Amino acid sequence: MRSKNLLLLRALLKSSSMWNIRKYSKDGKKRGRVLGGFFGFAMLYLMVVVYSFFGCFGLYALDSIEVVPVMAALTVSALAFVFTFIKTNGYLLNFKEYDMLMALPFRPKDVAACKFEYMYLKTLPWYLSLSLPMMVGYGYFGKTGWLMYPVWIMLGFFVPVIPMLAASLLGFLIAKASSGFKKKNMIQTLLTIVFVMLALSLRYIIEAIIRKNQVVNVTEQATAMMEQAGRYYAPAGWFAEAVQHSGRMEIGALSGALLLVGTTIVLFELVFLLVGKYYRQLNSALQSHAAKRNFRVASQKRNSVYNAIAFKEWKRLTASTTYFVNGAMGEILTAVLGIAVLIVGMDRVVAIVTQNAPIPKGILNPSIPLIVYFLIGLMTTTVCSPSLEGKNYWIVQSLPMTKKTLYQGKLLFQLYLSVPFTIFGIVCMSISAHVAVLDLVLYLLLGVVLCIFSASWGLVCGIKHMRLDWENEVEVVKQGAAVMIYMFPNMFITMGLIVLVVWLGTVVNPTMVTLALLAVASILAALSYAKVMRLVKE
Amino acid sequence: METNTILDIKGYTKSYGGGKKAADNVSLSVQAGDIYGFIGHNGAGKSTTIRAVVGVLDFTEGDIYIDGHSVKDEALACKNVTAYIPDNPDLYENLTGIQYLNFIADVFGIEEATRQEHIKKYGDMFEITEALGDLISSYSHGMKQKVAIISALIHEPKLMVLDEPFVGLDPKASFTLKQIMHEMCEQGAAVFFSTHVLDVAEKLCNKVAIIKQGKIIAAGTMEELTGDQSLEEVFLEVEDEK
Repeated sequence: MRSKNLLLLRALLKSSSMWNIRKYSKDGKKRGRVLGGFFGFAMLYLMVVVYSFFGCFGLYALDSIEVVPVMAALTVSALAFVFTFIKTNGYLLNFKEYDMLMALPFRPKDVAACKFEYMYLKTLPWYLSLSLPMMVGYGYFGKTGWLMYPVWIMLGFFVPVIPMLAASLLGFLIAKASSGFKKKNMIQTLLTIVFVMLALSLRYIIEAIIRKNQVVNVTEQATAMMEQAGRYYAPAGWFAEAVQHSGRMEIGALSGALLLVGTTIVLFELVFLLVGKYYRQLNSALQSHAAKRNFRVASQKRNSVYNAIAFKEWKRLTASTTYFVNGAMGEILTAVLGIAVLIVGMDRVVAIVTQNAPIPKGILNPSIPLIVYFLIGLMTTTVCSPSLEGKNYWIVQSLPMTKKTLYQGKLLFQLYLSVPFTIFGIVCMSISAHVAVLDLVLYLLLGVVLCIFSASWGLVCGIKHMRLDWENEVEVVKQGAAVMIYMFPNMFITMGLIVLVVWLGTVVNPTMVTLALLAVASILAALSYAKVMRLVKE
Repeated sequence: METNTILDIKGYTKSYGGGKKAADNVSLSVQAGDIYGFIGHNGAGKSTTIRAVVGVLDFTEGDIYIDGHSVKDEALACKNVTAYIPDNPDLYENLTGIQYLNFIADVFGIEEATRQEHIKKYGDMFEITEALGDLISSYSHGMKQKVAIISALIHEPKLMVLDEPFVGLDPKASFTLKQIMHEMCEQGAAVFFSTHVLDVAEKLCNKVAIIKQGKIIAAGTMEELTGDQSLEEVFLEVEDEK
């Protein structure tokens, strides 16, 4: 049975392998795009490696090198949990080739387990690119023994599995709960959003619990918090224990390693025993659609072509939990942030986020539009909507409209989505921070221009790295080259800009900083839109 | 159960939320050598029944037996002797045709010599051998359908279940498929397929069942059902009556 599973796993990996496309495709452009994709991903991995190594160096400089193993385990675990949770629907459940696979002689448990293993192998390079530089940093700066390296590498493969199992099980339970409802997709999306929000707030909840110990020194606080977090999440503690003991060439490494490996294997079997039992039933329920069959043709509303496209995009966004959670999460977070600052006040929110750092009142004001943009611009629907046309691309291609109209419609939809939330977020934060009216107007202008930039630049990435032959929408919504190329640089640059703007606001007039930023953002938005127009002509 | 019964559907019922039944107490049996046509309007319950037969869809009541094994309790034994070709084959687009066929052959544990022989035989019959080295994403719908058919034949199934198999196939490929169906039945296998093309069903099938709103409203041998009328006339008649 296991060999059959390996066959399936191999086929799944090959079916999404860029190398297979490069090797067998006769389309030169496609092969070129694959090479570009390899290069893009190599750059991103490099960024993660550098970030991770310097993070480790930072801890060494703070004399806290001993927390690196637990920090590595916690970071990888948190990422593995969130990434898996968002992908469960589409990878584990309700996937496109479900009929084909289930008609073959596989047990439902094996199909589910193979899908999980596939998901694990596809994301493993990310976890390793985070974890291994930390290992090198820990070994070098901590002057550990040689045994630490093989132990870290071996256990590094196990660290993401338990959080992935937990996320899969949670995603499975959400799907199970929602499958009984008529509007199962909506319920599933709502529950997923609730859990993502909870996962995002978990850090603050844990910190609040840990702070009971009231450690004063910042360095000691970081160390103590990591150690306590390792105790709250036992597998991270086991990993750290195994790595630290092996670094000192002690036999104690064995118990931590055995606990981590043993628990992982037992949990894997338990989870897939349960999932396998209900797998077919659940997929059947998720794939069934209630039909009323009572429609009567009444007067129909006529829309402009742009609005028709925007409406189609809205239906596409809301039809998929994966797409909605990725595409609209920034808007939801902005709404939550806006309400939070109105209720508890800007100062309190800033204090929570910055862990009570001594930040002078009002200093963050010029960065309000950027803070909102950090959330809204994290993802834009235009980055994946060209690829999401997938096999339905023929519909828009055969309609009497130009590509320009199609992409303008997609841009319009993104603006319909992002602009109201941006305005809401900026207004709420500005009210709470007592921003002057002129500044508020400038912030709103900047926010809207940033929305236009985000939608246009996202569309540039989306068109340039358009991929219609995907097997699973997760491949273009979460893992596509377009998404990666848009998301990470945008995120890091916005974070850098927030710091820069706050600093500039202390040396020159903050209104002038906003004006300068508005000018730069307008130029970037115009350039991105012009690039979209050039791309649609090609 | 008779020894030559390949597919036996007994009281199969599939309900959705709100009590709506997509299939209601469906019962029929397909013997070795039968080419059994399953016809009905769009949304009548054909695909729902077919997907339950091949073990893809869970169902509420009744049971389905393939070669004496229950789909509910012995799913693997059923799948080992069944081949399924969906109406819109979703194959792994980034595999080449040959990679996909080898994957299926591996899953069924087909010996190398046999798989080579079958791939060559059916590949040539469907005139797709030369394209098997290309990525499936570069295939037309008909070519994908051909690969799906070859993958279904590769393990010499006892029961072949097809959902609208002739959609997208060129006339020659349709003819080849019909020929293969006949050959399979002569060798003791059975074919169960849904179609909207009543002329094809009339010429090809020895048995037929008509489904309407999830219920079988007529079933039997072609002669019993049609008498001196055409299948189309019978279909329209029973559809209007019940």
